[in-house]
Amino acid sequence: MTIGSLFTILIGGMLINNIILARFIGMCPFMGVSTKLSSAVGMGIAVIFVVFGASVMSYLLYYFVLVPLNITYMRLISFILLIASFVQFVEMFIKKTSPSLYKSLGIYLPLITTNCAVLYVAIDNITQKYNLIETMVNSIGVPAGFMLVLVIFATIRERLSGNDVPKAFQGNPIAFVVAAIMAIAFGAFAGLV
Amino acid sequence: MPDWYKSAMNGLYAVLVAGVLLGLYVILMTLNKKTPVPEGCENLRPDCKACGIADCAVRVKYEEKEGANLK
Repeated sequence: MTIGSLFTILIGGMLINNIILARFIGMCPFMGVSTKLSSAVGMGIAVIFVVFGASVMSYLLYYFVLVPLNITYMRLISFILLIASFVQFVEMFIKKTSPSLYKSLGIYLPLITTNCAVLYVAIDNITQKYNLIETMVNSIGVPAGFMLVLVIFATIRERLSGNDVPKAFQGNPIAFVVAAIMAIAFGAFAGLV
Repeated sequence: MPDWYKSAMNGLYAVLVAGVLLGLYVILMTLNKKTPVPEGCENLRPDCKACGIADCAVRVKYEEKEGANLK
């Protein structure tokens, strides 16, 4: 493990194998919470925080509980329960400690429980056989890529809402056209590292 | 150790781990529900009009509270 390999994991997760535009995971918040830039930023920050925490905890659960007990087939159900518990804990913690943070992120936390991107990163870290440091780097890179795309998409949708779009294309259809063009643009990152 | 014993223990561990995680989730969910929402955050509304998932937890919660339809 070198700095170079960590950088590769970071850039790979963020741009080359972007979770939305290359893997098509986390499409619900991508379409649902991208109508306003402020919502997209809030959702992006919440996803980074939850993905990082949940992935590290999943890694520890897998290698310190499931592997020694030889019950690795339980990883899917274990990770689902762990992510759901972690989100509940984070919501409760933010409610008690920081009302201002709850005001900006609180509404997105329940949405993250059902976000398949969180589960994807937790499982991906295991299947790629990353160590703890690599897991942490990947768990920042992937949600950072999610946030990057969400914010870019939100800015485009904000501008689109003020434009004269043909009736048949208004709403989701034009959003999907934009997403397709963005996916092609992100395809150019392939082979970067 | 006989094979049947090994597989029985394996199953027991699996049930135990799932039970502990489920219990943890139920406890945290109950504690979270009991924690009061900070002042000024009672009527936070999700800004997710484009999402089509009708049984989304946030949508259901909001509709129960406000009688509104997010669609």
